[in-house]
Amino acid sequence: MSKQSVIFETIYHEFKVMVFNLALHYLQNIEDAEEVTQDVFVKVYHSLSQFQQKSSHKTWIYRITINQCLDFTKKKNSRKRFYLFGPKSENEREYLNTTNFEHPGILMENQEAAAQLFAVINTLTENQKTAFLLSKLDGMSNPEIAEIMEMSISAVESLIFRAKASLQEKLAKKNTDYRKK
Amino acid sequence: MEKEHWIQTIMNSTNGISAVMPSDDLLANIQLKIKQQEKVAPTTVWWIAASITVLVTLNVALLQKAKTRDNSTNSYLEHTLNQSNQLY
Repeated sequence: MSKQSVIFETIYHEFKVMVFNLALHYLQNIEDAEEVTQDVFVKVYHSLSQFQQKSSHKTWIYRITINQCLDFTKKKNSRKRFYLFGPKSENEREYLNTTNFEHPGILMENQEAAAQLFAVINTLTENQKTAFLLSKLDGMSNPEIAEIMEMSISAVESLIFRAKASLQEKLAKKNTDYRKK
Repeated sequence: MEKEHWIQTIMNSTNGISAVMPSDDLLANIQLKIKQQEKVAPTTVWWIAASITVLVTLNVALLQKAKTRDNSTNSYLEHTLNQSNQLY
């Protein structure tokens, strides 16, 4: 086994849970999270020789995972948009309308409420979503988030504050609409 | 009041979240992907790109040559026709 492979396997075993769970928070689907996790580690393997130790392995891998999740979401959304314009088969219609929320880490009794929360989280801007997920679900401190997102701590604080305000506002609207029905 | 309570319930629905373990065959799948990507060496990609470029250039050159030959044939025909179809 080559030296690069040995280092790679050590990194994989150290960060596999972190990468998979962050992808799961982002995509809320086991299959999608596994696909992204695979792509992240393939990228890590190929970029390992160019890694300059300017940041820690953890920060570097967090950045790759976030970018990979954002790319994956964009690709999935563009595929959905393509389906919207083209002729619709039964499968395509099903694909457009499914709410395939899947997060085994969330307590069974909270699954339904969490599905509603994530539906609103998915409408936040990319930066607000990233900052909120890292803070609320990964339990990271603001300085850690600031390092990963390459922003100032005050910018991260502002992002989290706006994300929470936006979530509460959207949930309130959802509640009002639900009552009207 | 009820609305506020509902919002708080939704916002707190991720409390008690636990880490999920990825499947056991994930590493094997990653290694397979890496191997598949390594099979196509960058030099091979460059060779293919160069071959396509040469093919396209040759095609364009041949088309242009054929076009100029067509023009010269036409002018030759016009010239001979003019000679044979004299009205006086």
